Amino acid sequence: MLGAASEQQNSDPPDRADVLAEIVLPDQEGNEVRLGDLWAVRPAALIWLRHYG
Amino acid sequence: MDGAQKKFEAAGANIVLIGQLTPRHAARFRSRQGIGLTVLADEERESYKAAGAKIATMSELIGPRVAAKGLLTSLKTGRAQTRTIGHPAQLGGAMVIAPDGTVVWSHMSDDAGDNAPPEEILEAVRSAAS
Repeated sequence: MLGAASEQQNSDPPDRADVLAEIVLPDQEGNEVRLGDLWAVRPAALIWLRHYG
Repeated sequence: MDGAQKKFEAAGANIVLIGQLTPRHAARFRSRQGIGLTVLADEERESYKAAGAKIATMSELIGPRVAAKGLLTSLKTGRAQTRTIGHPAQLGGAMVIAPDGTVVWSHMSDDAGDNAPPEEILEAVRSAAS
């Protein structure tokens, strides 16, 4: 139901963002953004929303 | 949220939001929330998986503890959750990443009402930038 997990999971954030760095996502205007570029020069805070609601 | 953006920029960091589904949904979210932050669209939830975000159980989505937290948040912010778009059980989180690729701080949600306090994220950013 609702795609919920049947068993409790643990969140598992990585120690390094190497895999995240190579991911490319479109922004709200459709421009492609490579995540690694966000912290190439200065730190970056990434916030994953549960939903857009 | 835009006030937060200024604080993050003053601390010397970039800040972006990542949501599920399409750029059109992201644009609508920005407009509805009245924010100028960049919102990235992750239809395949690739970055959620790479960040270690978890899929909630039913009790982590709609249990009494979660409902109570949601009510408190609504009272505090004056905003109520609207229709869920995307995977309903996908949880989010937050992460601060240093220029060398090290994840210097993270808070991935344990349930639907577990959100990282903005002050904690800002403190982690200040620490990473210093």
